[in-house]
Amino acid sequence: MSAVASFAPRGAAPMPTPPVPTQAVPMPTVPTQAVPMPPVPAQAVPMPTVPMPPVPAHAVPMPHATTPAADSLRVRDAGIRFGELTVFEHLDFAVGEGEFVSLLGPSGCGKSTLLKAMAGLAPLSSGAIDVCSGRPGERRMALVFQKPLLLPWRTLLENVLLPAEIGLGGNAVGAADRARARRLIELVRLGGFADAYPHQLSGGMQQRAALARALMSDAEILLMDEPFGALDELTRTTLNEELLQIWRSSATRLKTVVMVTHSIAEAVALSDRVLVFSSRPARIIDTVSIAPEQPRQPDDPEVARIIKRLRASIRAVL
Amino acid sequence: MKPAAAVNLHRPSPPGRAQSAAGANVAVARRTLTRSAVPWLFGAAALLLWEAVVRGADVPAYLLPAPSSIVAAMDSRLLVHLAATFSEALCGFALASTAAFAGALLFVRSRTLEQGLFPVAIALKTTPLVAIAPLLVLWLGTGWSSKIMAAALICFFPVLVNSVKGLKAADSEHFELFQSLHATRAQEFRKLRLPYCLPYLFAALKISSSLAVVGAIVGEFVGATQGLGYLIMVSSSHLETDVLFSAIFASAVSGIVLFQLIAWCERRVVFWQRQDTE
Repeated sequence: MSAVASFAPRGAAPMPTPPVPTQAVPMPTVPTQAVPMPPVPAQAVPMPTVPMPPVPAHAVPMPHATTPAADSLRVRDAGIRFGELTVFEHLDFAVGEGEFVSLLGPSGCGKSTLLKAMAGLAPLSSGAIDVCSGRPGERRMALVFQKPLLLPWRTLLENVLLPAEIGLGGNAVGAADRARARRLIELVRLGGFADAYPHQLSGGMQQRAALARALMSDAEILLMDEPFGALDELTRTTLNEELLQIWRSSATRLKTVVMVTHSIAEAVALSDRVLVFSSRPARIIDTVSIAPEQPRQPDDPEVARIIKRLRASIRAVL
Repeated sequence: MKPAAAVNLHRPSPPGRAQSAAGANVAVARRTLTRSAVPWLFGAAALLLWEAVVRGADVPAYLLPAPSSIVAAMDSRLLVHLAATFSEALCGFALASTAAFAGALLFVRSRTLEQGLFPVAIALKTTPLVAIAPLLVLWLGTGWSSKIMAAALICFFPVLVNSVKGLKAADSEHFELFQSLHATRAQEFRKLRLPYCLPYLFAALKISSSLAVVGAIVGEFVGATQGLGYLIMVSSSHLETDVLFSAIFASAVSGIVLFQLIAWCERRVVFWQRQDTE
């Protein structure tokens, strides 16, 4: 049984299964109605609008629907303006549950701001972003930034435990949390480094630690802002492969990934779908679904065709 | 020095060289010892040269006493004055640091307060302490309280400025990370702002620890019945230059002791910073 509640002034429109044609779907202003959700989450699912209010007590139970895929995130006519400057406006797209979507575009085009808006860190000037995953009282989204942002006075284990600590308020973390943090550290292949301090780890290891910390939130949606942008090519490729494995594995509840990236290669290697953004004010100028199975080889004709198309789209907006 | 763990993480010793690790540690220890011995050796050499020049050239004792006669002038009287100055400096330092950090907390909380009071703090800083000291003695008398205030005044500003800076030092993305984890303001302060502030705070404490001694001595210059500043004034007017020198050394030593005390605390509290910078 799953349910949806919207806090947007307008009701959420039922969305077709992703991929969704970019900007083509006008959002009708209908009252809140049932949105098809998979039968996976057993409890009522609130769908707050960013900025996120505290967990609502009035999550409306909705009739069960049988459509196979539902949306994790829905961006509806969203816009952000800082005074005269329009970062983006009239953005409409949805990210399906279990989907890996990359936001690709020139630097400074507002992708990161959009990602922050999804995370509830940047207020929208117009429109709404609905978050449909997760259960009440739980964190729905976890963030990975370009910088690892580890706290230098904490060991790796203590850094990974941070989300648990903050969630507990003043209480000390329990043995279960510690055990889970250690499992996540193993999962990102940092086993044996749990008691090391950040300055003792390389850049790639630090970013792995940041990923483990994000996974500690046990969120279903992972938002990543150029997570591997500061790393060298080899480390980046390795981490890309590991991210895919973690995303597919059942070790965490992670389902949906939205990643901002500059790298066409990275977007093609990882994503189910790539949204190409123009320079500011950002619009979605192309949406490319990537069908071939991973690992994707650049010399695969289909992959090569997609890379060519993305290059052309990017060049058109530069 | 990085701790041994760090070395092991980064560079596992190649096979066959494992046993040389102990030897390397001994070598490192020896190098550290040599490095700390060098300044002492130079200091001792300078003192010997001084003694030789004063004796050889027959320099009058009221101009430049020999180190040996300065040491001879160090008696229990000096210790009493040293204790007075040191405790005044310590009290003023503690008072100023606490007040300055509290002020910094308020400034970070309220921009209006910062905009309104920061110019006052700067005005206080730019006014020479020597100019304010007579006023302090007038208000608080020639006892210890005017010296504590003088020491506190000179310590206040560095701690205030650095604490304000330190409390804002965390990356804006760090704040976003905490926000995304739905951290409360108290959690953000305890787990992010405060630890990030500590290196800045200790840098300021080190500066003001030595300034505190200066402040106390300036206070004693204006009007006092004891303390190193009093001893310096009296001995210089009596041309007891050996006593004057002993008082100067004692004031330098108390500044150094206070500084080292803070540095010792810093190494324990801000352990990560040390490893970052070295």
